[in-house]
Amino acid sequence: MDLYVQVLVSGLLLGGVYALISIGLNLIFGVVRIINFAHGEMVMLSMYLTFWLNHLYGLDPYLSVIIVLPVMFVFGVMFQRLVVQPILTTSATMKIFTTVGISLLLQNLALIFWKGDFRTVRTSYSMSSLEVLDIIISVPRLVAFGTALLSIIILYAFLKYTYVGKALRAIVEDHSVARLMGVGVEKHYWFAFGLGTMFTALGGVLLVPFSSVYPTVGVPFTLLAFVVVVLGGLGSMSGTFLAGLFIGCVESFGGTFVSPGLKEAIYFAIFILVLLVRPQGLFGKGKGTEEVGLK
Amino acid sequence: MRKALILGLSITLLLTTFGAGAFGAEKLELGALYPISGGLALLGEESWRGAEIARLVRNEAGGVAGKEIVFAQGDASTPSAARSEAERLVEQKKVAAILGTYSSSRCMAASEVTARKGIVYFELGAIANSITTRGYKTMWRTNPTAADFSKAQVGFITDWYAPKLGKKPAEMRVSIAHEDSDYGTSVADSFSNLAKAAGIQVVSVEPYAANTNDLSSVIFRLRKADPDIVVAVSYANDAILLARQAYELKLKAPLMGTGGGHSIQSFADALGKEADGVLNVDFTQYEVNEQFTPGLKEFLALYKKTFNEDPRSGHSLANFMGANVVFDIIEKTGGSLDPEKIREAAMAVDIAPGNTPTGWGVKFEENGQNVMATPLVTQWRDGKLVTVWPESASVMAPIIRE
Repeated sequence: MDLYVQVLVSGLLLGGVYALISIGLNLIFGVVRIINFAHGEMVMLSMYLTFWLNHLYGLDPYLSVIIVLPVMFVFGVMFQRLVVQPILTTSATMKIFTTVGISLLLQNLALIFWKGDFRTVRTSYSMSSLEVLDIIISVPRLVAFGTALLSIIILYAFLKYTYVGKALRAIVEDHSVARLMGVGVEKHYWFAFGLGTMFTALGGVLLVPFSSVYPTVGVPFTLLAFVVVVLGGLGSMSGTFLAGLFIGCVESFGGTFVSPGLKEAIYFAIFILVLLVRPQGLFGKGKGTEEVGLK
Repeated sequence: MRKALILGLSITLLLTTFGAGAFGAEKLELGALYPISGGLALLGEESWRGAEIARLVRNEAGGVAGKEIVFAQGDASTPSAARSEAERLVEQKKVAAILGTYSSSRCMAASEVTARKGIVYFELGAIANSITTRGYKTMWRTNPTAADFSKAQVGFITDWYAPKLGKKPAEMRVSIAHEDSDYGTSVADSFSNLAKAAGIQVVSVEPYAANTNDLSSVIFRLRKADPDIVVAVSYANDAILLARQAYELKLKAPLMGTGGGHSIQSFADALGKEADGVLNVDFTQYEVNEQFTPGLKEFLALYKKTFNEDPRSGHSLANFMGANVVFDIIEKTGGSLDPEKIREAAMAVDIAPGNTPTGWGVKFEENGQNVMATPLVTQWRDGKLVTVWPESASVMAPIIRE
């Protein structure tokens, strides 16, 4: 019995990190409707930034958010203006080629400038864990989980109660109608991109205390974040959170009770099933939000 | 330094493009195929550095058979890139031999191309058994195989670890955790077979994907299996992750790596004092009995001079040793890379262990495998990877981690 609870806890903690990295993508994917294959590289860049701030200036990874988040917000905005905006009206394949290209470019730039070394930030809490009733809880993973939960509540409130938030939600549901209603769609595009990148960067920062940093660290996150976002439903923050937890638990249980080598295969199988049965995702808003950005 | 690599590559490129040798000497062009970008770039490049130092030293001493050695560089960033780069080196660069590769899956893909075209392939660092068991007539390997790694691990467990625990080999419980590509699978299979043959109980085998960011499920399975020791076969990121989560989730059994990620400095840097006591089997590392490894000191000095830092792992040393064996063979053929002449010269090589910078002997079998190369057991002690077994090569006695 203990093992099941332990596996559940590990799965939930892992899922919290997945959710955090995916919220940003949900914003970008939902609002701007672009399949950004460089999403994982944004995680990578923010992890490197955190690493260097610690390495050069001794800044604690958690404190470095005050620098990393604004920098990555600006990076996201620039990315939208310089790369995404010019290709917005082109075909889906064009967008895929462009962002895959950017992803490879960023990975190789990281390799050239920072070498292939596996870099780690060692903090006093890196490998610390709590033990509650024989269940082991990793402290940095718990922090990541808590931050994910908090971020989603803040983002939810922001989208629900502010004008900009309402405009963003309107764009997710139908950008033509949003434009007709007087929403400045382009202006919100860059804001959504910046905000999305910022939340992704937050995920990256929180990964640093327990994960190594290297040029290809972001690669697995790109596909994973897509699965989480589509599973949770475009435009649904709580959906993303729950889908993140779900995928974390599927990995954890599948890995422990079936085979660690098959855990990815299991969640992709579930993902395909969900797409077949409920294309708008488990918590999607229904018709109109089911497309996977291929318009 | 990356810059040094780029500089080295550009010089190689310039030399090969314009063909104007510094001394007007004739050129001997060899393909040098390593993963220098992508996920394996760190140790791929580290491996290349060893071969590059051997090349520079040899050229300074007059080259091979009076010819200046030139590397045509290929980037085996993925197995499919390895295949297409091998094609390119052979078809466009017209190289008559390739050396490399560090990664087993990349070597398997690239050597298929050279075997088909009747071109010689020298493997200096990849360990999957199947590389030299496919019956390719043009395949040569200077470094030990996965089976040799397993032999060393089983030998260490039966000769040292079991007596230390006061157990008979048949009472020893061993688990294997391995990444699931060619490298991990091959090593895990051969370990499992050899261990069973030695009467050791293999209580669980856990394959996982190396690019993962969570290995807690592997740890839970290991905890359930309750082994005396866990043999891990990992690349860099997963080696760190596995050791970290083993500590966090309170896995009792000590870890014994199988080269790769457990040998690099990043591993010790990431784990700090928790790395202490982690065992590892690998190519010869730098904290080793120097009587056993003549030339190692000189290599270290050359490395520092060429790349302005210390080696990141023993991979460069293994490639340095291997490249020198290759150059010696080509010297004997008078600079010819004809597979038949290479075979004749290679089969004649006979060096006893303890006479090369890695301590490995050289004696090729009919299938192209050097059977005198043996990996050593090392252990992380105070941030250094120290050779602990066998005694002839060790500088410290092993300890059991509490």
